[in-house]
Amino acid sequence: MAPPVSTPKSASPSQPSGKSEVTDLKLQLRQLAGSRAPGADDAKRDLFKRVISCMTVGIDVSPAFSEMVMCSATSDVVLKKMCYLYVGNYARCNPDLALLTINFLQKDCHDQDPTIRGLALRSLCSLRVQNLVEYLVAPLAAGLKDHSSYVRTVAAIGVLKLYHISATMCHDSDFPAALKALMLSDPDAQVVANCLYSLLEIWTQDAANSDEAAREIETLYGKSIIYYLLNRIKDFSEWAQCLVLDLVSKYIPSDNNEIFDMMNLLEDRLQHANGAVVLATIKVFLHLTMSMTDVHQQVYERIKAPLLTLVGAGSPEQSYAVLCHLHLLVMRAPMLFSSDYKHFYCQFSDPSYVKKLKLEMLTAIANESNTYEIVTELCEYAGNVDVPIARESIRAVGKIALQQYDVNAIVDRLLQFLEMEKDYVTAETLVLVKDLLRKYPQWSHDCIAVVGNISSNSIQEPKAKAALIWMLGEYSQDMMDAPYVLESLVENWEEEHSPEVRLHLLTAVMRCFFKRAPETQKALGAALAAGLADNNQDVHDRALFYYRLLQYDVAVAERVVNPPKQAVSVFADTQSSEIKDRIFDEFNSLSVVYQKPSYLFTDKEHRGPFEFSENLSNLAIGGDSGDDVIHSAQRYEENDKDLLLSTSDKEENGGPTHNGSSTYSAPSDVNSSRSLVSSSTTQPAAFAIDDLLGLGVLDTPVLPPPPALSLNAKPVLDPGTFQKKWGQLTVSSSQESTLSIQGVASLTAPQSLIKHMQNNSIQCIASGGQPPNYKFFFFAQKEGSSSFFLVECIVNTASAKAQIKIKADDASASDAFASLFQSALSNFGSS
Amino acid sequence: MVEKQMMGHHVDRSICAWFWHQYNHHRNNDQMSVVTSPTHYLFPLIRHGIIFLACTQLELPPLLPIEFLSRFADILSDYLCAGSGAGATLNEDIVKDNFVIVYEVLDEMMDNGFPLTTEPNLLKDIVLPPNLVTKVLHAVTGNSSPSVGPTLPHAAASTVPWRSTHPKTTTNEVYVNLVEQLDASVNWDGNLRRCQVYGEIQVNSSLPGFPDLTLSFTNPSLLNDVRFHPCVRFRPWESSQVLSFVPPDGHFKLMTYRVKELKKIPIYVKPQLTSDSGNCRISALVGVRNDPGKTIDSIIVEFQLPPCITSADLTSNHGTVDILADKTCRWSIGQIPKDKLPSLSGNLVLEPGLDRLHVAPTFQVRFKIMGIAMSGLQIDKLDVKNMPANPYKGFRAQTQAGDYEFRS
Repeated sequence: MAPPVSTPKSASPSQPSGKSEVTDLKLQLRQLAGSRAPGADDAKRDLFKRVISCMTVGIDVSPAFSEMVMCSATSDVVLKKMCYLYVGNYARCNPDLALLTINFLQKDCHDQDPTIRGLALRSLCSLRVQNLVEYLVAPLAAGLKDHSSYVRTVAAIGVLKLYHISATMCHDSDFPAALKALMLSDPDAQVVANCLYSLLEIWTQDAANSDEAAREIETLYGKSIIYYLLNRIKDFSEWAQCLVLDLVSKYIPSDNNEIFDMMNLLEDRLQHANGAVVLATIKVFLHLTMSMTDVHQQVYERIKAPLLTLVGAGSPEQSYAVLCHLHLLVMRAPMLFSSDYKHFYCQFSDPSYVKKLKLEMLTAIANESNTYEIVTELCEYAGNVDVPIARESIRAVGKIALQQYDVNAIVDRLLQFLEMEKDYVTAETLVLVKDLLRKYPQWSHDCIAVVGNISSNSIQEPKAKAALIWMLGEYSQDMMDAPYVLESLVENWEEEHSPEVRLHLLTAVMRCFFKRAPETQKALGAALAAGLADNNQDVHDRALFYYRLLQYDVAVAERVVNPPKQAVSVFADTQSSEIKDRIFDEFNSLSVVYQKPSYLFTDKEHRGPFEFSENLSNLAIGGDSGDDVIHSAQRYEENDKDLLLSTSDKEENGGPTHNGSSTYSAPSDVNSSRSLVSSSTTQPAAFAIDDLLGLGVLDTPVLPPPPALSLNAKPVLDPGTFQKKWGQLTVSSSQESTLSIQGVASLTAPQSLIKHMQNNSIQCIASGGQPPNYKFFFFAQKEGSSSFFLVECIVNTASAKAQIKIKADDASASDAFASLFQSALSNFGSS
Repeated sequence: MVEKQMMGHHVDRSICAWFWHQYNHHRNNDQMSVVTSPTHYLFPLIRHGIIFLACTQLELPPLLPIEFLSRFADILSDYLCAGSGAGATLNEDIVKDNFVIVYEVLDEMMDNGFPLTTEPNLLKDIVLPPNLVTKVLHAVTGNSSPSVGPTLPHAAASTVPWRSTHPKTTTNEVYVNLVEQLDASVNWDGNLRRCQVYGEIQVNSSLPGFPDLTLSFTNPSLLNDVRFHPCVRFRPWESSQVLSFVPPDGHFKLMTYRVKELKKIPIYVKPQLTSDSGNCRISALVGVRNDPGKTIDSIIVEFQLPPCITSADLTSNHGTVDILADKTCRWSIGQIPKDKLPSLSGNLVLEPGLDRLHVAPTFQVRFKIMGIAMSGLQIDKLDVKNMPANPYKGFRAQTQAGDYEFRS
């Protein structure tokens, strides 16, 4: 029977018409399923292609699952590959149907052709269906012993996939041990690399729960394995080399000879064509020599050239990432790069983010010998078409001036900027001149002469205007018309909208008043009156403060407003050196690109990538709701020793990843945006405002069956107050309670208990610990009163016991609360 | 849109929609190489108008995904464009037509988020590229040959993973091509601010058996920094600065290098801008400075007109001047004629209210010089060992402008 050759309804297979297309495909597949006719494979291939193109453009073709499986009994490799692809994509949604595929996949695992064996094994492991795990073990075990290295590489990764589906099954079959043996003995480098990759991931995840895994991880970082891998490093593929190098960077050598041996061995990796290998090698070098200052310097010299080449030769994407690393190194050791300044000159075609980094580096490496050159170059950029970069380069000139002792030439250049008569150049320059004067008051005469010629009307930007006003106030004795300029500014008070400018104006008028009282008196009166009537609280307060100060004693006021000034020697650095060190430790990672240590942006993910991402497919990316739920739950998961410490710094953890919404650093924000989400669905808006001040409430609380003591469903207590109360109060009740079996089973992570207790109107303020021991701090509030109950609860899941310590504002109610708490705890897991 | 889920957990497609939105939003601005989305970190890589996007939630070396994606893009264009004639570049339609190949290749290149096989030669043994031969075969016999290799690559276990043990070459030849890219920037006063060369040695080898090649230079001390293809042996380079290697089959990048602090540039541009009362006179002169001895080809001078310019009237005595939609002025010169110096002149009208032009445009120059490497690097000789017959050896050199700019 010759099958009917498919007559596609739509002209192009990549633009299928949707549902009818799927049924059509189904029908045709069914007709072909049993066909042994010559040419059937070709027809099938066309059909499969169409199915997969539907899948690719996002049409759900899963209804054709059983037909696809029926058609998959074929010897054609291309058909098989397409079928594997299809099955891999839809098995998760159709676990029952996936069972159908097991049979032919298992059969393919014994095929003569190693390619097919490998492909089948890979597809089998990629099904990721929980209840099919048992069928995986035997093919995997066979795959690990296969005589073809291709199959072994696939099997090594397959073990990892199995581990992610069912960790226990993986351990029961003793796969980690088999992988380790394979890693140490296999002749094929790719197999070794894949084993290493799987083992690292398995043991790292296990290490939290089992000492054995932690010990195994230790051995991976141990001398024998590191040496074994290093000696074979040239056999590995470039990606595997990155993996090995990353491992090596964590190894701590015992003595200097070892360090030199390793560095000699790895030196040629610096000339690898793959930038990732180069960067990984650099990381190893930097870490190895951390304790040897002089060698460390030599390392910098050695890695300079490869890094500079990478920056210039790679694609723009690569060069930015490398540049970030270079930026980090330059910031750490600017001296070493001072002769390479020409490499950091901006090219016209550089994207502006690259230019910005380069400007920062130029600023950092400026020293006596190259300042002239660098500043000349920077001045070129001031005329750049790209305005933000022009601004940035002016700022860079200023920063260099602040670093140097010989600022003569630079001040001249800055003053030249003022003569360029470009508003943004003037604005930036004014801010810089102000900073410069604060550090080098001796230059005031030169600067004032030029600044005095600038009309305050031509400046629009608040920062620049504030700077100009500051200078007018500070140097009013040297500027002839300072009082009159200030007076005209005060007259235009209403037109000046920035509070910053108004504040500066108030202060400047005050200062001017003490230097040239008769000329300023009128302006001062007008300014104070305008300030007092101002809507802005700060402006109002400052005006009031000056007014009362003047009322109280003019001499005192002068001492306050015009004290003798000391030149500023060092301006505050924005990033602490601790953070910089931390980023340096994380060399060759995203932290360098973000210029933030990784805990500031990946913590959330590190804690539970798997359960977290399962929800993801249901969430719209635009809203942050998914993130927030997880985030607020995990905020409490602080380490044990961090308990009760101020949580303010940890609140930032999730901050940077919350793109685009208001959830940044303020603690209450997390709740506010979450409650906004929920208010749109279930809760009235008024309720959300209430929640603003509180700590996270994950679910709409279900009120407990009315006990003798009723609790406030939405108590509010901030961590600081909790800590204070905990310190003040004495333990009113201390008990030991037993958890139900179900309760222990569901306590895989602290959140489950936290959620449960919240349903009972008991809020968690902090939690932490590692299995089997968890520690929680809860609190609750008596309905209709301000009295709080504070609870410390230590749960041991191994013995199913919980130690409870209760402190209460109102000790008389503590027994009632204790029994309530206990009943809530014992109900855990049963609901 | 082709997607491949690597890890156990599912990354939703809507991330792409998010990225696309962001991308369109920032199209005019610069794209970062790492983008933070609400849920993932994205690594976009744009090649030939196709965006390759990798997502991660974990901390990882940033160059790993970037390098991988660029490698993937290279291999894909190698695979898909080789069949459709020379000069073809990757585009949406080619990818659409061959998405099965794309999936197959991706499947071999990465497993569970870990890069696997990325050597083009090895991949081609596993997944056959859609070449002309298979197409013809398909048309003639009606029986499609599988796009999957019948056997596994043997090289997977050999000591030189980049070379398959039984390359099927009929010819016996090797070509070495020196390609240099000259970066230079010159100030308005004619001072050379910096000048350096990035070079590549591209080798196209089709030699049978297991050849052992040695390439030596007359002046290797020129090189400031070098990076090698994995096939290059490190020791001979250390001791005597020669490249000793067993080449992969086909086209590959043997070495990249950098030469810094060059003193001479082949072409100069003298721009002059004078402005008063809302008008700006512009003139630019192009000439050869240190004659490289070969013709300089495809000269193009480009500069961005500042946004404050309302209209421009530009003429040249040689070549054509176009003003593109994004206010880029392109002056295509081609070759410099013998009898005169090409010059561009014209008038720019500034926005009302502006008296003088405050910004200085940068002139970017593109050119190509065949037959010479501007860094002065010269290949001494190429020895081929381990070969039954002496192969044909070909050498070429070429210099082109990279970031070659003149400020005004």
